[in-house]
Amino acid sequence: MKKTITQRSAWDKVLTNLQKRSLWMLHYCTGCGAVELPPTMTARFDMERFGIMPMVTPRQADILLITGYLSVKTLKRVVLIYEQMQSPKYVVGFGSCTINGGMYWNSYATIKSLDRYIPVEFYLAGCMPRPEAIIEGFTELIDRIDRGKANSWEDYYKNYEFYRKNQEHVFGIINTGNDIPDDAKYFKIGEAKK
Amino acid sequence: MSAQNSTAQTADPRVRQPEAVVGLSRSEEDIIKVLWDVTGNDAFSLKAPRRIEGVVDSDKLHDFAFLIWSRVGFQHLSAISCVDWLAEGEFELIYHFWSYRDSCLVSAKTRISRDSALIATVSDIWQPASFFERDVHEMFGVVFEGNSDLEKYILTDWDGPPPMRKDFVTRDFAHNHFHFRDYEPDWDELVKGGYHSNRGEGGTDV
Repeated sequence: MKKTITQRSAWDKVLTNLQKRSLWMLHYCTGCGAVELPPTMTARFDMERFGIMPMVTPRQADILLITGYLSVKTLKRVVLIYEQMQSPKYVVGFGSCTINGGMYWNSYATIKSLDRYIPVEFYLAGCMPRPEAIIEGFTELIDRIDRGKANSWEDYYKNYEFYRKNQEHVFGIINTGNDIPDDAKYFKIGEAKK
Repeated sequence: MSAQNSTAQTADPRVRQPEAVVGLSRSEEDIIKVLWDVTGNDAFSLKAPRRIEGVVDSDKLHDFAFLIWSRVGFQHLSAISCVDWLAEGEFELIYHFWSYRDSCLVSAKTRISRDSALIATVSDIWQPASFFERDVHEMFGVVFEGNSDLEKYILTDWDGPPPMRKDFVTRDFAHNHFHFRDYEPDWDELVKGGYHSNRGEGGTDV
């Protein structure tokens, strides 16, 4: 397989360098994972030394942290929130529940694999991941942004049809009020099909 | 039932505090005796300290609920729980009544057929009971006659059978309905090149 090295412009490098140090995080605390966040944010582990701060609105946030299981009902809200966020955006699946359902693997109400519905940048394994693991994950994210490799958000525009089909399979047709194929044109990403 | 409703209108106990609500707290034996006197039901007995339990016919349940609210002094309906007895083909509904005067709980059990799960609502006596009934209706499919608001409550996008019924196999449903991640032993190789999803070959969920 031929490897292609994409040349990043100097402006891109400046941009990512600035971007990696000012990440604002929206934490969607659906499950028990939220208890690990207060120590991560506050004095003990102090997330802000990496430039990561909690943010209250999706439109101003860069990271969407899904902390725990998602029922079909909450997944609908997560999709609405995700589409409201400005690109580039990074979804972090937190804990086993987002990876394979975790302890809710045989539940009729929860989804089992988050990256069927929205693209996930990376997962934090564990039940629960400790603040050390969260910090480890975020430093990895910072590193990836610096190298220009954190590109999961582009996948939503490239394979919108796939994600939309899976979403509609679990909760039916919704109108999110966002024109994703149109956004894809703005970002000059692929051929997003409606 | 209509006779009881007309009593409710003439007596109007919602405005005036019924005599049974105020006063000194009673012993369990007294409460059982009052239950017997007022409702004519002698099936109630003491199960634990301050916990009384008994069986009521399903067609008499509304009348019983009205009497226990207005004349026995149990002003609070804590919960309506439902048990699915699959082998017997019955649903068991348990109404938990609480008395602030006696600090005592009365649990009235009633059984209805599983095939025609139908019972009179008590939401005309306790308005919040409407929510309990919606919940039971959603999870077990019991229809509460007279409750006009049996819409979807928690499972807003649900179109399957009531999920708390014993014959609903949640594991089979989950396996048929949701996509499970494949085991990928070489996952660390896959994620090395950047973003990786478990999209497979562009296939969608079942």
